Amino acid sequence: MLRCPPQADSQPPQIVVTGVGLVSALGTGWQAHEQAFREERTGFGPISRFDVSERTARTAALVDLPEERLFHTLSARAENRVDHGTRMLLLALREAMGQAGLKSAEPVQAMIIGTSAAAMEHGESYSRALLTSPRRIRGQTTRVEHYQPQTQMRTLAGELGWPRQVMLVSNACASGANAVGMGLELLRSGRAQCVITGGYDAVTELVFAGFDALRALAPSGLPRPFDAERDGLALGEGAGVLILETSAHAHARGATPIARLGGYHTATDLHHLTQPDPAGTAAVRTMTRACEMAEVTPAEIDYINSHGTGTPFNDAAESAAIATWAGDALSCVPVSSTKSAMGHLLGGAGAVEAGICVMSLAGQWLPGSLNIRTPDTIAGFDLVRNFRPARVRNALTNSFGFGGTNASLVFRSV
Amino acid sequence: MMPDATQMPPLVIRGLGAVSAAGWSAGDMLAAVSEQRMIPATPVPRAGGTRDWEATARLVPPAPPGLLPKHPRLRRASPVTRFMVAAAQEALQGVEFDPQRLGILVVMTNACVQFTSRFYNEVIQTPALASPLLFPETVFNAPASHLATLVGASGPVSTLIGESNLIAEALRLASLWLQAGLVDHCLVIGAEEADALALEAMTYYHKRLVGGEGAGALLLALEGSGPRIESVHGPFSYATRAQRRDAMSEMIPQLPKASALVDRAVGIDRLDRDERQAFAALSFQSVHHPLEILGECMGAASALQLALAASLTQHAFTTCCVSMPGTGSAAFAVHLNS
Repeated sequence: MLRCPPQADSQPPQIVVTGVGLVSALGTGWQAHEQAFREERTGFGPISRFDVSERTARTAALVDLPEERLFHTLSARAENRVDHGTRMLLLALREAMGQAGLKSAEPVQAMIIGTSAAAMEHGESYSRALLTSPRRIRGQTTRVEHYQPQTQMRTLAGELGWPRQVMLVSNACASGANAVGMGLELLRSGRAQCVITGGYDAVTELVFAGFDALRALAPSGLPRPFDAERDGLALGEGAGVLILETSAHAHARGATPIARLGGYHTATDLHHLTQPDPAGTAAVRTMTRACEMAEVTPAEIDYINSHGTGTPFNDAAESAAIATWAGDALSCVPVSSTKSAMGHLLGGAGAVEAGICVMSLAGQWLPGSLNIRTPDTIAGFDLVRNFRPARVRNALTNSFGFGGTNASLVFRSV
Repeated sequence: MMPDATQMPPLVIRGLGAVSAAGWSAGDMLAAVSEQRMIPATPVPRAGGTRDWEATARLVPPAPPGLLPKHPRLRRASPVTRFMVAAAQEALQGVEFDPQRLGILVVMTNACVQFTSRFYNEVIQTPALASPLLFPETVFNAPASHLATLVGASGPVSTLIGESNLIAEALRLASLWLQAGLVDHCLVIGAEEADALALEAMTYYHKRLVGGEGAGALLLALEGSGPRIESVHGPFSYATRAQRRDAMSEMIPQLPKASALVDRAVGIDRLDRDERQAFAALSFQSVHHPLEILGECMGAASALQLALAASLTQHAFTTCCVSMPGTGSAAFAVHLNS
C-alpha cells in the first residue's frame, strides 16, 4: 500500500478525482451520459415495477440493468439476492476504478457511500410476505438478512476483494454529496490517501408512494426545474462513484487526475423537516464555505449543478440562496439542473451530480436544464437551458436533503 | 472505514445519556445492569393480523412527565426520536456548548421502523390514502433532523446506517470533525425502537432472542474533564462465522489491559459463544452484560454499552473495555479510561 504520511504543520494535501462512474436512466457510463446531455435526452418512462394505478404520478427515470451476470464471485442464486441499487453501484464502481487505473481495491483505505433507501425492495418483500401468513415463512430469513444495507455492502466489498466495512451515510437527498465530502475530509486529515466515495438509490414502491403522498411528484411526469409553472419533481434511480486521492498518492501510482476536489461544506437547515428555509440560509453557508475552502470566489464559478428538484419551494429557496451567495456576480453564474433529464436520484443524486461537474470540467461543456417553457423570474442567474460548450475552470454542486442536510462541493480543473 | 486507529486522538466524554428498558437515564441503566435486575419481556403483536409465535421485547417505559421538551417537532415524532432527544438532553446537561459548533452523528439499524411499517401497510392496503404525515418520519435522518432543531445544531449532522457496532466508526468520524476544527463538541448517538416487524425478523436469528430499544448518547470533545475514549480497535473484518472467531482472536492480543469488560452477550449461548471464548483469554475484575438485561437493542446496542462503560469508569475510576463483535462484517473494541 502506498503511504504518504501527513507532515506536521503542513497545508492539507491537494485532493484529486481520478475516476468517475455513473449509472442512471440516461445510460451506463461517462460516454452514455455525455451523449445524452449533448442530445438533450430525458430518461423518464412509465413504471411497471410496482402498482402506480392509484398514484398521481406514474413515471420515473428507471434503469434497465444488463441481463448478464454482474457479480463474478457469486452464484446466480446469491446474485439474485443483491438489490437493484447495489447492482447499479457495482457498475458505477467498476467504471470509476477502471478510469482511475485501479486494477484492484487494494490501495483503497475507505469506502463511503450515501443512500436514502438502501435495499428497501427486500424490506418491502419481507413486509408483504409477513402479511400473507400468521406462520413462519420460508425465505424470510434471507429477506431479513439482505434487507440490511451492510449485508449488501459486504457483498459488494467481497466482489472487489476489499476486506473492510463500507460506511453508509443516510442524509436523505444529500447522502451522496455528504459521502463525497466525508471522503475529502478524511483525505485532508491525512488519515487516508485513497478513498472510494459515492451514492446510490433505486426507486421502490414505498419511496415512490411517499413522495406521491406528499404531492411532491410532478403530475405531468416531467420535472421542470426553475420553470415558472413547475409542479414537482420526478424520481429517478442510479449510482455515482468518485475515486478520490491525494495528488501525491495519485502521482506515485501513475494515475491521471481528472479534476481537483477543492471544497466541501455541510450545514443543517433547521427550518422544517421537509421544506427548505425560504432564504436558504444554510445553503448560502455551504456554498460560501465550500468556495472558501477551494479558494474561489462566486465570480470564478463557471457552473453550478443545482439541487434543482423542480418543486416550487426548493427551487425558490435555492435561487434565493444562489442570489445571496453570488451577489453582483449572479447574472454571470451558469446554473442548470440535470434532474430535469435523469430525475431525482435521492441518495445517489449528490454523487452523480458531482460526477457531472467533473465531466463538465473535463469536457468544457455545460448540460442543460430541460423541459423549461417559461423561466421563473426568481432565477436571476444564467439559466442554462441547452447543452453548450463553455470554459469551465470551477464547478459547484448543491445537494439539499429532507431533514435539512445541505451540502456543497466545489471541483476545480487540474 | 478509517484505516489507522493510531491516528485517532483520545476523546473526552463530556456528557452521557441513556434511555433503555431500565428507564430514562444513564443512572437507571447502570443500576439495572449492576443489580442484574430482571426486566420483563413484553409480547409485541402485529399491528394487523396475528402470528402463531411470540416476538418479545424489553420496552422503554413511558417517559417521566415533563422530561421531553414541548416542541412542534416532537408532536408526531417517532419513539426513536424521543429516545434520542432524551439521551442527548441528558448528555448535554450541565455542559457549556455552542450549538452552532456542535456536530451530531447518529447511528441506527432499523431507524423509524414503526412509522415505516405503518406507512407501507397503508401503501399496500389503501394506496390512495397513505398518509403524507407518516412518510417524512420514515426517512433515516428524520430523528437527527428533529434533534438538531431542538438543540439548535446548524453545523454537520449525519446519520450512518448499519449494524450496531457502527458507532465505533462514528467515534472516529467525530474525532475527525473535532480535530479538523469543524466542531467543538460532537454528540454521538445510537438509537433504535422496537416494532413487531423488526422483532419478528430478530426471531429468525434465534427463537428466544428478546428485543430491546432505546438510545445511548456521548458528548465528545478533545479537551475537558470526563472519562476518556483512549482507543478504538478495529475493524477486524470477517465474512463467515469461522472468520468471525478468527477476527476476534486477532483483536484480543491488541487490546490494552482493562479492569472491566462490557460485552455484547444477549444470554443465548449460540450467539454469545464466539465472544465469550475470545475474551476468556483475558481477565477482568468485573464483566457486565447489559444486553442480557436490556434486550437486543440493534442500532442502539453498542451505544448503550459505551454509555454504561462511561458510567462505570466515571463512578469507579476504572478502565473499561467495550466489546463490539458485530454480527456480519467486523469486530471492534473500545478502550475507556477514567
